[in-house]
Amino acid sequence: MSSQAVLEFARGPFFYFALLFMLFGLAYRLFNVISLGWNKDRVVPMGSKSKGVVITFLKAFLIWPFIPWVKDTFNRNPLIYIGGGLFHLSLFVVIILGTPHMLVWKSLIGLGWPTLPLPVVDWMSAVGIIAMVILLINRRIHPVLKLISGPAEFVAWLFVFLPMITGYMMTHHIGGSYEALYARHMISVDVLMIWIPLSRISHFVFYFFSRAIHGQEFGKRGVAV
Amino acid sequence: MPEETIQQSLASQGVSRRDFLKLSGVLAAAMGLQLPPLEKSGLPAALGVPEQISPTEQTILNALETKQRLPVIWLEFQDCTGCTEAVTRSVSPSLTNLVLNTLTIEYHETLAAAAGFQVEQAKQDAMKKYAGQYILVVEGSIPTDLDGSYCVIGGRSAVEQLKEAAAGAAAIIAVGNCAAYGGLPKAKPNPTGAKGVWEIITDKAVVNISGCPAIPEATTGVIAHFAIFGTLPKLDKLNRPLTFYGKTVHDRCLRRPFYEAGKFALSFDDEGAREGHCLYKLGCKGPTTYSACATIKWDQGLSFPVQSGHPCLGCTEPNFWDGGGFYEGQSAPLDRPTITAVGAAVGVGAALGIGTALVNQSKKKAHKGES
Ligand code: HEM
Ligand code: HEM
Ligand code: SF4
Repeated sequence: MSSQAVLEFARGPFFYFALLFMLFGLAYRLFNVISLGWNKDRVVPMGSKSKGVVITFLKAFLIWPFIPWVKDTFNRNPLIYIGGGLFHLSLFVVIILGTPHMLVWKSLIGLGWPTLPLPVVDWMSAVGIIAMVILLINRRIHPVLKLISGPAEFVAWLFVFLPMITGYMMTHHIGGSYEALYARHMISVDVLMIWIPLSRISHFVFYFFSRAIHGQEFGKRGVAV
Repeated sequence: MPEETIQQSLASQGVSRRDFLKLSGVLAAAMGLQLPPLEKSGLPAALGVPEQISPTEQTILNALETKQRLPVIWLEFQDCTGCTEAVTRSVSPSLTNLVLNTLTIEYHETLAAAAGFQVEQAKQDAMKKYAGQYILVVEGSIPTDLDGSYCVIGGRSAVEQLKEAAAGAAAIIAVGNCAAYGGLPKAKPNPTGAKGVWEIITDKAVVNISGCPAIPEATTGVIAHFAIFGTLPKLDKLNRPLTFYGKTVHDRCLRRPFYEAGKFALSFDDEGAREGHCLYKLGCKGPTTYSACATIKWDQGLSFPVQSGHPCLGCTEPNFWDGGGFYEGQSAPLDRPTITAVGAAVGVGAALGIGTALVNQSKKKAHKGES
C-alpha cells in the first residue's frame, strides 16, 4: 500500500471513527461521573457558588501561572510544574495556533482564526517535545512518581508523544517522503483520539468539571483561593 | 515512414545541422540527463546552443542519426483530449517537433484523418506490422463495470482494446491522471468502475505521466527517452518518472517563503492574495503533490497555477478528486462526521454513562437494604 493510500485512510475513515469514538467515550465517562450524584447539601452557603467558580478559573489561568512560587504545587516540585506547564502551553500553541491545525478546526466547526508564523510554532513544539522527555525521565527516577506510575502512565506518555514527534518530523521533512510522514502523524493522532476516553488524558474534560466543583465548594464556604 | 532515421526525417524537413545539435541539448535537458537539470534550471535556460557537446548529447546525436522513427499507437478512452491538446499545442515547438519527428503516429483518434472502419483497420495493421516495437500511449480511464460497456469503440470495449494493444507494445505510457489513476471518471461514486491502465495491465511496466493535463514536456521527454535509449526512465512508486515527479510543488514553490513566514492569502481578492502570499489556507495541495509544475511551468515557462494565484489541486496524485475540498486546507480531514452522527455518538455515550451509573447505584442501594 502506498503512503498516499495510508494517508487517505488515516485522514478519512480512520479519523472519522476515532473522532466519533472519542466523543462517544468522553460523553460516556462524563455523564457516568455526573450521574453518580452529589450528597444533598444541607449547610447554608456562606458565599455565592457561581462567584466561587468564576474566581477559581480566573486564578488558575490568569494569576497562579505568573506567580507560581506562592503555591505549594510549585515549590514541592518545580520541575513538574514548569515542565508540565511548558508542555501544555506548547500543545495549545501547536494545535490551536498552528496553521494546519487551525484548518482542521475550521473544517470541523466552520470557524477559523489567525495563526502564528511557522518558526514560532516550530520552536514551541520543540519546547513541548523536550518538556515531555524531561517529564518522562523525572517519572522514571523520582522516588515517589516511580512508585505511582504504572504501564498506563507510560502508554499515555507515548500516545501523546507520538503525534508531537511525528508532527515535528513532518515539518522538518525528516525520515521519509512528506506523505509517509503525514500518514504517520495522522495515524498517531487517530490512536491518541481513541486512547483519550480510555485513559487519564481525558483530564482536559474533567479538569474543568472538577475545578468547577471545587470552585463551587470554595465559594460556598466563602474561602478565598 | 518508420524506416527513415530520425535525422533523415528532420533533414528532409529542412532542420539544419546546427539546429540538430541544439535539439540534442534540449532533449538531454528535457530528459533530465544533463546538467543543469531541468528541475533546477527550468526548460528555457537549456534552450541555448551548447558550447560543447557532452557525452550524453553525443549518445543522443548518435541515436538520432541511426535509430528509426518509433511507431506510436495512441488510444483514447474516458478522456477529454486535454492531454493530447497539451502535447500538440505545447509552445515549446523545437522540443515537440523533435519528438513528433522521432515518432510516426500510427493511430490517434483525434489526429487521424481517416475515420470509422478504415482507421480501425489501420490500427490493426500497425499493431501487426510493428508487433513488439510500438509505444502504446493511453489517454483516459478505462471503465470496467458492466463488462466495460460504458466505453465502446468500433464495437469493442475499452478494456478489450487496451489489452489487445498492450500485448504487442514495447512500452506503455499512461498520459494524464485518468489513464494513470482513473482521474475524474473514478471520482466517487465512480459510476463506470473506471480504472487506470496499470490496474488492468499488470504484466508490463506502465509509465504514469499523471497530471490534468499531463505536462507536455514530461510526456515528450519520456517518449524521447524511449526512442533514443530504448529504455524507460527511472520511476517512483506510483510509476511516475522521477525526473519530473521527484519533488513536490511545495518544494519548488515561489510562494514558499510566505508559507514559512506564516503569511497567507485568506481569499482570492484580499491583500495577501495581491501580495502573492502562500495559498495554503485556500486549500493548496502543493505539499503532497509531486510534479514539475513549479519548475517547467506551462506555456514555455510562463506560469503555473500557484504562480497565477490558484491553489494546487493535486492533479498528479491518485484520487485527487476525492482528496478533500479543492478550497479546503490540506490538513482538513477527508471524512467529517455530520452533526447528526456527532449528536448520536454523544447522545448514546451520555445515555450509556447515565444508565450504568443508575444501575450501579440501585445495585448499591439494594445491597445496603439487604444488610
Ligand atoms: C485545557 C486542557 C488541559 C488542562 C487544563 C490540563 C491540565 C493538566 C494538569 C493540571 C496536569 C497535571 C500536572 C502536570 O503534570 O502538569 C496535566 C498533566 C498532563 N496532561 Fe494535561 N491538561 C489539558 C489538556 C491536555 C491535553 C489535550 C493533553 C494531551 C493530548 C494533555 C496531556 C497531559 C499529560 C501527558 C500529562 C502528564 C504530564 C506528566 O507526565 O507529568 N493535557 N494536565
Ligand atoms: C486531525 C488532526 C491533525 C492533523 C490533520 C495534523 C496535521 C499536521 C500538519 C499538516 C502539520 C504541519 C507539517 C508542516 O508544517 O509541513 C502538523 C504539524 C504538527 N503537529 Fe499535527 N495534526 C493533527 C493533530 C495533532 C495533534 C493532536 C498533535 C499533538 C498532540 C499534533 C502535533 C503536531 C506537531 C508538534 C507539529 C509540528 C509543528 C512544527 O514543528 O511547526 N498534531 N500537523
Ligand atoms: S502556495 Fe502551496 S505549494 Fe506554494 S508554498 Fe504555499 S502551500 Fe506550498
